[in-house]
Amino acid sequence: MHMTSREIALLAIALLAIAGFSWFSPWFATVDNLLTILRNSSELLLIALGMTLVIAMGGVDVSVGVVMGVAAWAVGQLLLVNSPWLAALAGPLLGLLLGLITALVVVMGRIPAIVGTLGLFGVWRTGLFALLGGQWLSGLPGSLTSGLMHPLLGLPVMAWIIVLVWACVWLVLRHTPYGLWLLAAGNSEEKARLAGIPVTQVRIATFMISGLLCGIAATCYIATYRNVEMTVGGSLALEAIAAVVLGGTRITGGACSLLGTLLGVLLLRILQNGLLLVGIPSLWQTVVTGAVLLVVLSSEAASGRVIAFRRTA
Amino acid sequence: MSWWRKSPDLTLLSALWLLLAIGIVLVLPQMLASWSITSILQFATLLSLVALGQSFVVMSGGGGIDLSVGGNVSLSAVMGMLALHQGINPLWLPLICLLTGTLAGAINGWLIARLRLWPLIVTLGSFYLFSGLALALTSGAAVAGVPAELTQWGRGTQFFVPLPFLTCVIPAFLIAWLILSKSAWGKWIYACGFNEHATRLVGIPVDRLRFLTYCLSGMLAGCAGFVSLSWLGSARPEIGVNLELESLTAALLGGIAIFGGRGSVIGVLAAALMLVTIKTCMLQLGLNSVWQLGVVGILLIIVLMAQRLFIYRR
Amino acid sequence: MRRITTAVCSLSLLFSGYALAAEKVAFVPQIIGIPYFQAMEAGGKRAASDLGVEFVYSGPVDTNPMDQLQIVQNLIAQKVNAIGISVLDASSIAPVLAQAKANNVHLFTSDSDAPDSGRPVYVAQATDQGLGDAIIDEMVKRVGDHGKIGIVSGEATASNLNSWIGFMQQRVKSKYPNITLLKPQYAGGSASRAAQIATDLMSANPDIKGLIAMASTTCPGVAQAIETAGKNGKVIGSGFCSPNTARAYLKSGAFGYTVLWDPEKLGYLTVWAGKQLIDGKAFSAENRVPGFTEPVKFDSKTGVLLLGSPAVFTKENVDQFKF
Repeated sequence: MHMTSREIALLAIALLAIAGFSWFSPWFATVDNLLTILRNSSELLLIALGMTLVIAMGGVDVSVGVVMGVAAWAVGQLLLVNSPWLAALAGPLLGLLLGLITALVVVMGRIPAIVGTLGLFGVWRTGLFALLGGQWLSGLPGSLTSGLMHPLLGLPVMAWIIVLVWACVWLVLRHTPYGLWLLAAGNSEEKARLAGIPVTQVRIATFMISGLLCGIAATCYIATYRNVEMTVGGSLALEAIAAVVLGGTRITGGACSLLGTLLGVLLLRILQNGLLLVGIPSLWQTVVTGAVLLVVLSSEAASGRVIAFRRTA
Repeated sequence: MSWWRKSPDLTLLSALWLLLAIGIVLVLPQMLASWSITSILQFATLLSLVALGQSFVVMSGGGGIDLSVGGNVSLSAVMGMLALHQGINPLWLPLICLLTGTLAGAINGWLIARLRLWPLIVTLGSFYLFSGLALALTSGAAVAGVPAELTQWGRGTQFFVPLPFLTCVIPAFLIAWLILSKSAWGKWIYACGFNEHATRLVGIPVDRLRFLTYCLSGMLAGCAGFVSLSWLGSARPEIGVNLELESLTAALLGGIAIFGGRGSVIGVLAAALMLVTIKTCMLQLGLNSVWQLGVVGILLIIVLMAQRLFIYRR
Repeated sequence: MRRITTAVCSLSLLFSGYALAAEKVAFVPQIIGIPYFQAMEAGGKRAASDLGVEFVYSGPVDTNPMDQLQIVQNLIAQKVNAIGISVLDASSIAPVLAQAKANNVHLFTSDSDAPDSGRPVYVAQATDQGLGDAIIDEMVKRVGDHGKIGIVSGEATASNLNSWIGFMQQRVKSKYPNITLLKPQYAGGSASRAAQIATDLMSANPDIKGLIAMASTTCPGVAQAIETAGKNGKVIGSGFCSPNTARAYLKSGAFGYTVLWDPEKLGYLTVWAGKQLIDGKAFSAENRVPGFTEPVKFDSKTGVLLLGSPAVFTKENVDQFKF
């Protein structure tokens, strides 16, 4: 599999970070800790996957975190009436619906994605508050948890679901016209239309897929944390954007790197975990995240490298 | 009806204001009292300053946006107070805040204009950097000890108008308006946003201009940090929270096009005031503050749809 | 147009000077949408109906000092007679104190204090020192006086949380020198972040014996982390958590105990204190408050109205409480 220079750079940084953290903390490179990092990455992996598609299409979605929150509420409610199967499905379904609404506002309303999703962020946040009624859902029954955490061939079911989802998206990007259309639409909407690509449908589909992924993330969130508060998913949108851009996907279209996003998410989580393990106070985590983001972006630009406009997965 | 077609953004904004005013007169007449105006202006000061900076950045086009303004405000305030605690003469305080802000903005500007990186992600990174620094340097505690003379200025009013609003916001907007409408710089900024390619061909230094807009945004953020110091009496590391989204909302509602190239700062001031007024009205009506988010969100969507319908017929 | 505006303005000025019939007492929490402050609101409403005043509950959506300040200012302008605030930070109410005095509005603190601001009273759930000591003492009772204890706090800028942490550190230094209290880590307002940090703390310190969740928002996260790591009973979780939130975890063993007070009673006391201020009644050293079995103590030196001692909830007694 051919890796772009950005992906190689990310892999190098991740390995460097792992090496560095292992040097300074004997607890970093343990199986337990590495599993912790993976577990902490579950929601972000799904949301960043959706964000990759949205950004490759030329837009951005700042409401993904709150969409996950609203979907999580639905999952939680159904869990309270003791139907874990329904609850597990409710997340993705509601996410799909919210993604459709986002698509309608942005695509049909012809508003730039960043503004439309900014507005929707406020609307969903208010909606979540209204739904929660000022309370939290906490101490939710563990029926979903035991289902999703059940070990299957060594990994919990949830991990397999995430792998499956990633595989599906990769297949769709690689082996269906949608993938090509996505990149073309992201590169230049006009030219894509002229080429006969159904740009509007592609954009609507992308937002819906992103919503669906947020919904799946919501189910995973409930299974892991078993509670819903108003602040659920707050910073996930920005983290997802950071991970995707770190990974090399460009908003100008033409480049969409799933591997890059994966590396980006892992790198972010490795940094957060590692910093704490070596004793750096948690307040410095955002500083390091920001610094890494800026350094990676600027060093590449400054070295004058042009990322080949190729579709990689 | 030609003025309607000439500046449809301002018309839309005025229509919204009219609706708001009618609503206030009918339902909340007590809002017309002087304390209400003072309160609105006080809370609008920070937002207006930051929104002005945001407008310049967005107007110059190229996907310009500054997500780091909130972190910038916090960092400037924190640096100012930390310097004070190191023994610097209080007279230097405003300068330190402004300098920190401008420097922060310059970092953004250099990365965006010089290295041609995507503004959204650069300012996202610097947002993490600045807000994280502000929190980490203070370990979350507010840094108190603002000299009394400053808090007097920060909390004082003249004819029911808060002094910071009078001395910072009004002159800033006046100068901005003059630059944009009367000077070559202004025309260049509009040109950058409207058609970058053509502007470059004509020989206008687009990159340098964009760099300057980010520095300006940073400077205004530094000013806002200073105002927050004088008003609250301490530097709060989380003072800038949510300012990036609010300032963007104010700029967009005020008629600044997200793609750049059009908009008037008067609209931005009016929009900032309107946002604060709506917030205040909702509080007066006893509505839970969380509804503000939803209302502003819907407002943003509707206004932009309307703009799209009436304006962007090209 | 201008004449109409002037007329309307002067008329409304006249009306705004009109005294409002019912007395109003308000409480401004640090953030709305959390069960803890919800319970305080319930208590406040109950007190309002008992005492014959109107209760106003209004708070910010995020723990943003500007939003809290705006709400307070609006309440002052609405001529609410007494406003109790759970301040995010000591300097939160400084800018509006003068305005409050001018409008004859009584500004006081509740649940979180601003000690040097000149507020007439602070309605305290328990002394900050009492809380810090209680949680450490109970932890030591369960883990022994050797070992490491971690702290997962909420917002780095919340002054009440930081005050409790300070007293916890003092307690450990003076009474339990062999206990290592790790530096506090901040999770913001998010349960998932709290869970992440708690898990990382356990990874970084495999011999850690206890984890304390400082803010009610971090409670579920810390407990979840202990359960997921399978360390129920090996790591004693605890925090300032309400019985409802902590119940499942106390029963499963992730939490050994939690320390809290009754926020509903705190809300009640807040409104009662507000009414006292409006009526101009001074607080005596011991006050009889309707519905409270014990008299409520007031320390005139510090201006603290104390709800009582902190309550410790364990798996045995948690079912008796419904908040």
